[in-house]
Amino acid sequence: MAKPSAVSFVVSFVIVGMMLGLLLGLHDKNDEFLENKDVPGRPHALAAELAQLETDYQNLLAEAQDLEKKLEQIEKGKWKAYEALQDELEKVKFAAGLMPVSGKGVEVIMQNMPEGELDDHLGFDSSLFSIKYEDILKVVNELYAAGAVAISINDQRLIVTSEIRNAGRFIIVNSRRITPPYVIKAVGDPERLESGLKIKGGLVEALREWGIEIIVEPKEEVIVPAYDGGIEIRYAKPVKKEGDA
Amino acid sequence: MKIKAYHLVILLVSVILGVMAAMQFKSSSEIIDANIERTEKMAEKVEAKKKEIEELKIKVDEMNLQLQEAAESPEMYALNQQLITYGILAGTVEVKGPGVKVLLSDSEEPLKPGQDPSFYVLHDVDILKVLNELKAAGAEAIAINDERVIATTDIRCGGPVIIVNKNKRLAAPFVIKAIGHPDTLYNSLMMKGGVVEQLKFWNIRVSVQKADEVIIPSYPRSIKLEARLGGSISG
Repeated sequence: MAKPSAVSFVVSFVIVGMMLGLLLGLHDKNDEFLENKDVPGRPHALAAELAQLETDYQNLLAEAQDLEKKLEQIEKGKWKAYEALQDELEKVKFAAGLMPVSGKGVEVIMQNMPEGELDDHLGFDSSLFSIKYEDILKVVNELYAAGAVAISINDQRLIVTSEIRNAGRFIIVNSRRITPPYVIKAVGDPERLESGLKIKGGLVEALREWGIEIIVEPKEEVIVPAYDGGIEIRYAKPVKKEGDA
Repeated sequence: MKIKAYHLVILLVSVILGVMAAMQFKSSSEIIDANIERTEKMAEKVEAKKKEIEELKIKVDEMNLQLQEAAESPEMYALNQQLITYGILAGTVEVKGPGVKVLLSDSEEPLKPGQDPSFYVLHDVDILKVLNELKAAGAEAIAINDERVIATTDIRCGGPVIIVNKNKRLAAPFVIKAIGHPDTLYNSLMMKGGVVEQLKFWNIRVSVQKADEVIIPSYPRSIKLEARLGGSISG
């Protein structure tokens, strides 16, 4: 009788062991679940979003207070009203890019590599590696992403309707032909603007690989001129909430 | 049956293992609970803030309209027109008008072996090029998934979404609306060798429709202040 009971004893140990294994297995699954759902990362991302929203809210609140003050002023007679509207116009003009802006920022200079050098460098036809409108489009996008508030290319201020495109061998900005070197000026936090472009694996690295010379210089002061092209709004009409004239 | 020493050792080890397993299981489920709870709390706060901003923005839009109306008297006609025109450019004014709608979404063709899937999804540059082409064709106002494009709009890839205007996440499919001359906008996108043809090469699905009227909302945050933060008026 001693033998079988010893066997069942060992078997029960094996069963306990398997159950433990299962439990441990479950535990591993849980770890995987944590990773897949990225649960620990979410509160962090949300906290960052909340901080941004708070800033947006404060800015909007300040704008609301400013508008409230202006509406009060409008009640106080024609002259005051005119003053309030003039001030509002200045603000909108500034936001639209119709006024020059100065401040800290960066200057980016882009240039094609001298032809002979480029041929040696890559062993290809140099025209393949000259600066394309897309390259400038990308640099500008990166600067805006890093918080630039105003940008000009060869003194052409970029506003919402500004295009950057090829026309033959030239690049056109605001319907005007610009020629290399392309000097891009951006007002914003110089450190952020610079690191946005120069980040490892970033745009500056990629452009240099294509044989484009690019220099990014932080500046204590850059001056970005006002947009001086024509403005014509023919198709867009303001939407008025009630009635809708 | 005699209980031998090794039986006791096995039992002890099993118990310890059992306790350890139970503890770990418990602690990992606690982590999940704590995180889910924290995430939920944060998400609630974020939603509440968004709602507050939306409500405030409605107030701001109303006040902007009142200000415009205040300038409707004949002697202020010029001022009123400028306020509207510059407001449309700045993005502070909601607008409607004729134009186009561009629908963009990732390729749905199955990949052949060896093809790099990243070639066949939309990139930020693709959207930048569409916007650039619309601007060149005279678009007066543009929005992507109803997020207004302004002078300082940036577009970045963020995995399956794109991030527009610094932190606004938009998911595919992307609908770009633009106000302008519908034929001019349409033709410049569909031009031979143009941006639509380039995108179709990568099997990205693009369709462009002319529209009698599209509505483009105003920029949902404060541009007037944002624009001022980084610089000052010069000259």
